[in-house]
Amino acid sequence: MTTSESVSVGSTSLLRVEGLAVRYGAAQSLFDVTIDIPVNGTLAVLGSNGAGKSTLARAVSGLVPSCGGRIVFDGKDITKWSPTRIRRAGLIHMPEGRGVFPGLTVLENLRMALTTEKGSKEECLERAFTLFPVLGQRRRQLAGTLSGGEQQMLSLARALMVSPKLVIADEMSLGLAPKLVDVVFESIGRMRDAGVAVLMIEQFASRALGFADQAIILQRGSVTWAGRADEAGEELLHAYLGGATAA
Amino acid sequence: MSTALHAPEAAAPDTGAPRLEARGVTVRFGGLVANKDVDLAVGSQQIVGLVGPNGAGKSTLFAVLSGLLRPTAGKVFMDGEDVTGTSPQKRAARGLARTFQHPELFSSLTVREHLVLAYRMKNAKSRIWTDLLSFRGFAKSPKAEDARVDELVESLQLGGIQHLPAAGLPLGSARLLEIARALAREPRVLLLDEPSSGLDVRETEEVAEVLKSVVRDHGVSLLMVEHDVELVLGMSDAVHVLDFGVKIAGGTPAEVRRDPAVRAAYLGEEIEKPAVQRAEAEIEQGELA
Amino acid sequence: MLSYVLAGLGLGSIYAIAAGSLVITYVASGIFNLAFAAMAYAVARFYYFLLVEEDWAIVPAAVVSLFVFAPALGMFLYAVLFRHLRLRSTLVKLMATVGLSVALPPLVNLWLEQPTDPTAPGLAPRPLATFQVFGSTINADQLTTYIGLVVVLLVGVGLLRFTNVGLKVRALVDSEALTSLSGTSPGRVSLGVWAASATLAGLAGILIAPTAGLSVGSMTFLMSAAFAAVVAAKLRSLPLAVGVALVMGVATNVVQKYIDPSSDFGAAVVPSIPFAFMLLFLLFYALRGQAGDLVAGGALDRAIATQGGDPTVVSAVTGGSNRRVLNPAVIAGVVIVGIVAFLPGQLDRFWSGLLAGGIAIAIALLSYTLVTGEGGMVWLSQITFAGGGAVLAAELVRNQGWDPLVAVLVGAVFIVPVGVVLGLLTIRLGNLYIALVTLTFGSLIQVLVFGRDPFYNFGSGQAMPRPEFTTTNDDFAYLALIVFCVLAVLIVNVRRSTAGLAMSAVRFSENGAKTLGISVVQTKVLVSGLATYTAAVGGGFIAMNAGSTLPDSFNPAVGLIWLAVLVTMGSRSIIAALIAGIMFVVMPQVFSTYVDSDYADVPVILFGLGALGLALHPEGVVAQTGNNIMRLFGRRKPAPVTQVPPGTPGASGPSAGTSDPALLTPAARGEAATITAGGQA
Repeated sequence: MTTSESVSVGSTSLLRVEGLAVRYGAAQSLFDVTIDIPVNGTLAVLGSNGAGKSTLARAVSGLVPSCGGRIVFDGKDITKWSPTRIRRAGLIHMPEGRGVFPGLTVLENLRMALTTEKGSKEECLERAFTLFPVLGQRRRQLAGTLSGGEQQMLSLARALMVSPKLVIADEMSLGLAPKLVDVVFESIGRMRDAGVAVLMIEQFASRALGFADQAIILQRGSVTWAGRADEAGEELLHAYLGGATAA
Repeated sequence: MSTALHAPEAAAPDTGAPRLEARGVTVRFGGLVANKDVDLAVGSQQIVGLVGPNGAGKSTLFAVLSGLLRPTAGKVFMDGEDVTGTSPQKRAARGLARTFQHPELFSSLTVREHLVLAYRMKNAKSRIWTDLLSFRGFAKSPKAEDARVDELVESLQLGGIQHLPAAGLPLGSARLLEIARALAREPRVLLLDEPSSGLDVRETEEVAEVLKSVVRDHGVSLLMVEHDVELVLGMSDAVHVLDFGVKIAGGTPAEVRRDPAVRAAYLGEEIEKPAVQRAEAEIEQGELA
Repeated sequence: MLSYVLAGLGLGSIYAIAAGSLVITYVASGIFNLAFAAMAYAVARFYYFLLVEEDWAIVPAAVVSLFVFAPALGMFLYAVLFRHLRLRSTLVKLMATVGLSVALPPLVNLWLEQPTDPTAPGLAPRPLATFQVFGSTINADQLTTYIGLVVVLLVGVGLLRFTNVGLKVRALVDSEALTSLSGTSPGRVSLGVWAASATLAGLAGILIAPTAGLSVGSMTFLMSAAFAAVVAAKLRSLPLAVGVALVMGVATNVVQKYIDPSSDFGAAVVPSIPFAFMLLFLLFYALRGQAGDLVAGGALDRAIATQGGDPTVVSAVTGGSNRRVLNPAVIAGVVIVGIVAFLPGQLDRFWSGLLAGGIAIAIALLSYTLVTGEGGMVWLSQITFAGGGAVLAAELVRNQGWDPLVAVLVGAVFIVPVGVVLGLLTIRLGNLYIALVTLTFGSLIQVLVFGRDPFYNFGSGQAMPRPEFTTTNDDFAYLALIVFCVLAVLIVNVRRSTAGLAMSAVRFSENGAKTLGISVVQTKVLVSGLATYTAAVGGGFIAMNAGSTLPDSFNPAVGLIWLAVLVTMGSRSIIAALIAGIMFVVMPQVFSTYVDSDYADVPVILFGLGALGLALHPEGVVAQTGNNIMRLFGRRKPAPVTQVPPGTPGASGPSAGTSDPALLTPAARGEAATITAGGQA
């Protein structure tokens, strides 16, 4: 797998989604969504429950089919690719909820993440256990019996071990205690610092806005605002708490 | 909007007790607490909003109120009477109707048949058995039934699709149909789970009008979960906010809008950015204006 | 005692291999493989071909059969069939595997011919060596069976636990979506699982052939016993499935120490042990509320799954909006009934007898139209209710001197409580469990009642005369047609009545129905009661037509073919029931009379392939019989698509109409709306 350092395209876009339309699942469809994430860029996708944030993530990673538009990743049109192929191209999707195999042990979960890896698997595992010592202690435990925070760490470790080009973090902080939210953001920040591009989905916005360079707001399946993350707060409260500002 | 949305006999005597009340409702799924000690009351002719972030336990509370789920602890009352242990059917007979976040439609039935069935469940329940022997499946439907169903079809603008099966409907139509079906049951308390999601701005306004008119003209009480906070704050007499299964705020829309706990719940934590603070200030001003 | 246990372990080992294979394919692909026996037969037949007919040595024959032919078969079936079943409804999954089980053995026989000698050698060299173990004798076949199980367990557990391949299989079981997100292709893993499953099926088939015989029947029995173990394991737990299978094998044999299997009582008890096991476990799970529909995968898989491809849903939908009295379906119905009514006068006695038999079966098929087509429940015991109706009516005629027609129509009323009780017991079960309970119930009744004297009577059953006024085949065909039409009108009335609306409501959304005030229990009692009555009347007519009850014709295995033919024709259409019934009886005779007796099995293959086609194109099969006929002539009519008129709320999203709306439920295909809906003030 190419590490991000070897990508020499500079500021050109790593992931570009153009006019994406998805028709799938109740209240989760997308209309004409366009986003652009440069190499080592970070984008926060914000919006209320049901706005289509997770659908966007799933469409990009190939889990749900799109019915219009185009997705280009690392110079290749991946619109029709299978999730497997997209993953192998260096895009990791950490799904909403707990992105772990509950019936496999911690170690096996990590090994599953390494099946595409060509280099030394031992080294990767070492890295994971150094980052999250608690996983090392519980390597033989079934992932389904871990606490919510530990499962989320496992999900993060699965991405951190390898060197993807882009990660999608879907509601990683949902339902976690504040201290664990810190761990989540710290971990994703570590990936960003290593040159990985990040597409972050959050319902609770201020942390995400502090993290990302760019942001979009999705409402009822459409992008209603896009711009620099530090300018998003105003728009966001408008979107969440109603149009009083516009009155 | 139609003024005959609701049959007159459904307007019931006011006993003084809230139409629907939850006291100390707690629901646990294994180790997970979905609702913790939630109190909530819907008075006669009141519109009450229930808001909260994703996963806050709103739908669970609805399931408890409508009888689809037994609470681990706590009680549910209708008109002051304990209905915690009664079935959804019994609660429907007492005048409770609801819609669902993911529309629970009957795929093979046409839009109109949904309303016919709901109407008959209220007005001619025995037909489930008598139709079999009287061969009324081949007979014309009664005039009163037709008239009532026509009204609902018209007021929720289902005319163009009334003979289509529910399975092919877009989400917006499905929402309207769910609301129409609930109204066909001539309820006294109506629970609405995200009535506006899938609707555009204009449809949302129209649905809001229909709902206000049932409340105003027919004494129906409404409890609604809605993520369009603007809609809820604009319509409701009272609003309750759930977060992590706990009621963190409750009161008039104005009070709730100002509540810092609500902001924190929605944005993840206390807001520090100047831009956001500015936005807060503007919201408050807008509200005063 | 020890010899019974040892023999039982041999049988149990075979059950265990089969059960283990069923569990793995079920958890990995969500398909309960009713065609397991057919696959076992195909591989065992191929082995027999190499070993006996081509004179190969045991080792190369076994290696080629189990490690070349069987995996190839498994992969082929995955590629053409199982792959397409993943997102289908339980009914379609079951019917497709039924279709495969119906079509595969005759296809193999067309290629390799029916084996001349049903006693086939196993994996041990002949003549069989025997060994003394603690004073008991075991033969080399038994020994190879034990070795077979041990090898399968060691290799299986080793593969699953300690290799990357096994890790991927277990990951797939946990979550398909997450597996693909990890960079592992679920399709390739499934391909491997089906290849392995076919090998295990073949091994079980080859091992059981020496004792049970190389026939589809014996393989089917093997499979039913394995089902019991799989159900006991709640379809999921591999160790439990293997354990229960072993216990069942031992129990079946040990019982024979105490009960003489050749005695009357023993003949009934011994074969019913697996079914009794299964029923006990099912009821236990049902009462504890642990047998809902299995939801495959994790939250992510559910979030991205769509429900689709249930032919009864689609046909319910396409037929649902047509409530006018004079619509094309009614006209087509009248025409077809007219043609059928015209036929008896034109046919000779033989053919009009077949026609009458077909109409009689069509009456029984109407019960599926109710329970599966309207109610959406996959009941596989309707043929058993038919048999019950036949047997009871024959008793009433013989012992009470009733008129046959009265006996049939009134006797059927007494069968109704059986169906209602079964319906109530299974009310909280998921669809696959309902299918398995009803199939098991049917098998149990077959063994305990229909298969025993006085009801069995060397296979001819008891005499069941026709009513005096319809002794000729022509007259009887007319009587059957009249009864068919009366029941059809009754069903149409039910469908259009409040009860019919309530049935559809309960079927598609129990929560929606409950909160509307509809009683789910009441509705299910109604459906199951009516369907049971219809089935029992149909059974009475089948018996009257044949002149006796013919207990073997009410075997639940035959019932599976009934349902497969009906579903292929259209599970919700009354005319489809009529045509399916007639085709079921007449087509095999047409082939053997006019084509070639070698091809007598071709219609069966066609029935099977029809049900397979259901898996690939559920939307095509739904449609009414007219569409099916069109297809026979190669003029495929596009599946009817629900048209949402312009101006419908939420209909004009940018993507409206680009995917197949008819197949998706509202929950599955919503879209946020950007509308230009006709406004109103």
